[in-house]
Amino acid sequence: MGKYGCNQVDWAVSRRDFLTKTGAGFGAVALSSLLAEHSLSAAPATLGVAPLAPKPGHYPAKAKSVIFLFMEGGPSHLDTFDPKAALRKQAGKSLPPSFTKGLITAMGEYDSPIFPDKREWKQWGQSGLWISDWCKHVAEAADDIAVLRSCWANGIVHSNGVCQMNTGSILAGRPSLGAWVSYGLGTLNQNLPAFVTMQDNNGTVVNGPRNWGAGFMPAVYQGTRILPGSEPIANLNTPEGVSEEQQRGKLDFLSAVNRQHATARPQQTELDARIAAYELAFRMQAEAPDAVDLSKETAATKKLYGMDDPVAAPFGRMCLLARRLIERGVRFVQLYSGAGSKWDAHSGIEKNHGDRFQETDQPIAGLLKDLKSRGLLDSTLVIWGGEFGRTPMSEKGNGRDHNPTGFTMWMAGGGVKGGQVIGATDEFGLHAVEDRLHVHDLHATILHLLGINHENLVYSYKGRPERATMNEGEIYRKITG
Amino acid sequence: MVKSLNADKPYTQFITEQLAGDELYFNAKPESRNPDHLVATGYFRAGIYEYNNRDVRGQWQRILEDITDTSADVFLGVGLQCARCHDHKFDPLLQKDYYRFQAFFAPLLPREDLVVATPAEQAAHAEKLAKWEAATAAIRAELDKLLAQPRKNAEASAFEKFIEDLRVDLRTPVAERTPYQHQVAELAYRQVTYELDRVDSRLKGEAKERVIALRKKLTEFDSLKPASLPPFFGATDVGPVAPVTYLTKGRDKEPIGPGHLSVLDPKNVQVAALPNSTGRRSELARWLATPENPLTARVMVNRLWQWHFGRGLAANSSDFGKLGEKPSHPELLDWLAATFVEQGWSLKAMHRLMVTSATYRQASATPHTALRAPNSEDPENRLLSYFPIRRLEAEQIRDAVLAVTGQLKLEPAGGPSTDQLTPRRSVYGKWLRNAPDPILNVFDLAEPFQSVPQRNVTTTPPQALLLLNSQMMLRHARAFAKRLEEEHPSSDEDMVNAAYRLAFGRAPRASEREAALQFLKAQQQLLGSKGATASTRGFAAEKMPYRDGVAAVIAPDMGGDALAVLDSPSFPTGDFTIEANILARTVDKTAAVRTIAAKWSGENQKPGWGFALTGDSSRRKPRTLVLQIIGVKQDGSFGEEAIFSDQVLTLAKPYAVAASVKLATASAPGEVVFYVKDLSNDDEPLSIAKVPHKVTGGFANPLALSLGGRSGKGGGFDGMIDDVRLSTGALKQEDLLLGAEAQPTETTVGLWQFESKPSAFKDASKHGNDIVPKPTGAKAAATTRVNAMADFCHVLLNANEFIYVD
Repeated sequence: MGKYGCNQVDWAVSRRDFLTKTGAGFGAVALSSLLAEHSLSAAPATLGVAPLAPKPGHYPAKAKSVIFLFMEGGPSHLDTFDPKAALRKQAGKSLPPSFTKGLITAMGEYDSPIFPDKREWKQWGQSGLWISDWCKHVAEAADDIAVLRSCWANGIVHSNGVCQMNTGSILAGRPSLGAWVSYGLGTLNQNLPAFVTMQDNNGTVVNGPRNWGAGFMPAVYQGTRILPGSEPIANLNTPEGVSEEQQRGKLDFLSAVNRQHATARPQQTELDARIAAYELAFRMQAEAPDAVDLSKETAATKKLYGMDDPVAAPFGRMCLLARRLIERGVRFVQLYSGAGSKWDAHSGIEKNHGDRFQETDQPIAGLLKDLKSRGLLDSTLVIWGGEFGRTPMSEKGNGRDHNPTGFTMWMAGGGVKGGQVIGATDEFGLHAVEDRLHVHDLHATILHLLGINHENLVYSYKGRPERATMNEGEIYRKITG
Repeated sequence: MVKSLNADKPYTQFITEQLAGDELYFNAKPESRNPDHLVATGYFRAGIYEYNNRDVRGQWQRILEDITDTSADVFLGVGLQCARCHDHKFDPLLQKDYYRFQAFFAPLLPREDLVVATPAEQAAHAEKLAKWEAATAAIRAELDKLLAQPRKNAEASAFEKFIEDLRVDLRTPVAERTPYQHQVAELAYRQVTYELDRVDSRLKGEAKERVIALRKKLTEFDSLKPASLPPFFGATDVGPVAPVTYLTKGRDKEPIGPGHLSVLDPKNVQVAALPNSTGRRSELARWLATPENPLTARVMVNRLWQWHFGRGLAANSSDFGKLGEKPSHPELLDWLAATFVEQGWSLKAMHRLMVTSATYRQASATPHTALRAPNSEDPENRLLSYFPIRRLEAEQIRDAVLAVTGQLKLEPAGGPSTDQLTPRRSVYGKWLRNAPDPILNVFDLAEPFQSVPQRNVTTTPPQALLLLNSQMMLRHARAFAKRLEEEHPSSDEDMVNAAYRLAFGRAPRASEREAALQFLKAQQQLLGSKGATASTRGFAAEKMPYRDGVAAVIAPDMGGDALAVLDSPSFPTGDFTIEANILARTVDKTAAVRTIAAKWSGENQKPGWGFALTGDSSRRKPRTLVLQIIGVKQDGSFGEEAIFSDQVLTLAKPYAVAASVKLATASAPGEVVFYVKDLSNDDEPLSIAKVPHKVTGGFANPLALSLGGRSGKGGGFDGMIDDVRLSTGALKQEDLLLGAEAQPTETTVGLWQFESKPSAFKDASKHGNDIVPKPTGAKAAATTRVNAMADFCHVLLNANEFIYVD
């Protein structure tokens, strides 16, 4: 535990306190209080005036925003970024018992034979990172990428793993990392959500929307799903069958009814905030469709993201949208590839991962290139990975089981020093052994790059000081070189 | 729970039943046992259970931690979980206290095998059951024989997924297991049971047909079978001996017994074991229920105060003690706690005391604006100089909408919980933790994973968008308008007056009435010039749990032409595939089917086909998919063939279903391949059933294709239908949607998605087979006047005066 252990209590300032101290009346805070927490809700959940107003971090940030590429279901590290000669040499044998002692896997593949990878490996870039042919497009950006080979987590099954990678805990109920970032830093564009998620198909990401939920924090910090199609945010459009005039008529009448109600209740700022929330909803109606309108992007840009390839187009579109949202000040964008555990290659990993990389490799490479050429990569942290990796042992002869004890993620941009390999797994790639990075360490490091010290970012809940990393986690400082 | 609160059980009795209902029950003489006591132990089962977590010991420890944390929060009002890992210098709650408290719960064993019934009910049930068993002995014996090997295989493969020492626990005979071993083995065995419950899916060929036939035959004896006793979902202790609870300090661990918070009572608690239980939880309940306990009464009266006034006298209602905020009125809190004990721990007496107080009866709109000024002595109104204005909580908003619009059903009060579409009070609603109800979620519903002492209250644009733009709220507004029209048909003025009384609890002022009438007139003019409006829609659109966008909500009485697509030359006359996402709320009680899609009148001598769910008394299994085709068979005859999938669906669950139909030829049988994918659980494998049939064709007809019904009467679906896709050719598995993003392809002749953009009635295929919206009868023939009234109602449901109380 660091010097700010769980005994450090941070008393948040209530909105009323703020008003009291600044002496500001409603007029001064009308718009900035749109999303404000009501002071009625007693001490545990009090907030400042405008919870999503941009806030300075604890120290100057390397990254202003995050794009988290979540390969849901658990991509193999052994076939992508962490080559292991032992897999081919000892193919078909069992792992030595010292490796599997005490190990619990999801499908019980304890003494299954070692399954060799079938990839072609090459060293890429000036740095010479080893990357397999599945990631040949991303490999071109090798010198921008830091490969974290020593990640580990606690969840054996998808629900635990996805929950922990998002919230730090394998059990539901805590705020997601994006929510913590929105809480800590606010957002640079009040007309768009601070924290946005997208997914490549209509399936359900394991655990559903709670992955981007705000847990015990107010809902204002939760992620907003951007949907494909003409209505990017749920209920954004005037409903079908209602004309604009009819809607306008209703709004004007509603506004009159609410004003009359508020007049009899002077200084009830809650009421004014709700009136203003309707106005903000309409500003969102104007700005959100423009943010997701790709018609203004050139054919060359779309091609860069693989959108000319029908297989890569869905994820390519999401990557391009992510760049447009980041440009407009959205703080945290999370893209799910394979929503519904579609990276979960218990069998047939060749086809499964082959397909997934065909869907994502070009789009992700395009995103890195595009961000770089626009000068956005320095201020945008791009993170790639899943909830866990996969076992060296085979499952069903041609697949791999879940492996949370050692797996790879990579980061690029946002101050990360590219072209480096961090940490290592054992000779079979089962356990992380050098510079071990737990999910809490990853979260601490991500927050650090955003200018937030994870020990100092505190939300008081039920009288307890709560932190994104659950009072654990260490910043991996070597990530910046 | 509702029954207990309504009966105003003394709070101490309530606590005892919640914490130790099983010990109360088994300690009583058999003839005087009260089944409600067992029901109360359901409290221990509300936490998270993961059905496929192979780390069984880890999972059991987390279940215990959840029970420990929640019980400390709820009954002690103390955040004990802070002390799970170590002591804190600034807090008197010790790590030791955490594990002393956990030791009360450590002997628990989750149970579902007990019966909740009086001895007389049990005897009557047993007597009837014996008769049924005698009558069905032969059938069941044959079933057991057929299933013996598949069951063995299922058990073996389930065992293999566990680590070796867990397999040892499982194989140890029950009598030889230690208490802890038995707890863990029982928890692990749930994963085996999960596989055994699906043993039918391991069957193939003749054995499968025979099992289906036998199961069908069993149902012929249903009249002899007694109604099942109410299901039990609770807990008891594992036995009279407790497993050891350890206090871990770094690498060391030492055994520790049950005990209370050291700061209040440092002694070790000695508990005499009961015949089949440790008695520990009864002791905990006894200690909590003593009038001298400084926490129990204070914590509860403070919660009551919070619910009535928006904040507790002590603001952290589950965190009394050093870290909580100091009470604003400590003497009042003490007096209320003492009064609570004096009043026999009656909650209703305390409610009465609070709501009849002068403080509670204050208005929010005080003329003394100085009291509210930011620079006043009490800007937060902690001293309650006026009543704090409060936004309704999520469930209250949903319930209020249903009540005001005349849709709320108050009966039955209690009974099984129902889905989110059923207009009952939210307290009776089913909670899907991973698929929260949209309206509840947007208004700060607490995440239902842990005990939450107080809701957040936020004001956000998504709330405004939902109330203003969702089809759901438009539907509620129309229901409100319909109610007004039925109850006050005489004049717009009467309707406006009634609307204000219903929505705001008061009559409109003259100026408000005038403004409302003017609004109605203006909207009527707008609507009159626009023609068709949302009110003529033939169906309601709602979000299907676990899915994006909206699905069509279909009721059996809508009629088969509510969502009809006129016959088109593009519709297949040969092989075809029909797919849809469905959620069935009910099936028919009789053998009648509920139709997903059909091109058929329902008459079995007329050509056509229907894709449907079977009724409860079906020839085959109930709630299974069936494709009925009426056409020419291999032998040249014409008639109906009902092709059953034998994949049984669960009600209120979203599924992607498909039937891929390959027709027979003169020489070869045809085949229908049915696919069922559970959309609420990605881990549930895709179910595939291949069924041969004899139809060669000849089912074409000029009827419309009906979605959620048939042409003509009967057979209507009850639930939600979405992403209906009709294709030519028998599609292969890789070409099916099965829940994926719906896209038309070359073979698609119709794809109906019911999204408002571009249009709910639009076919996304290149054939333009749009749904022909049909206002169904006089009921749906909406007039401009009613539409304008619906707009007015919609505004009232959006108004601050509706959402806030003061």
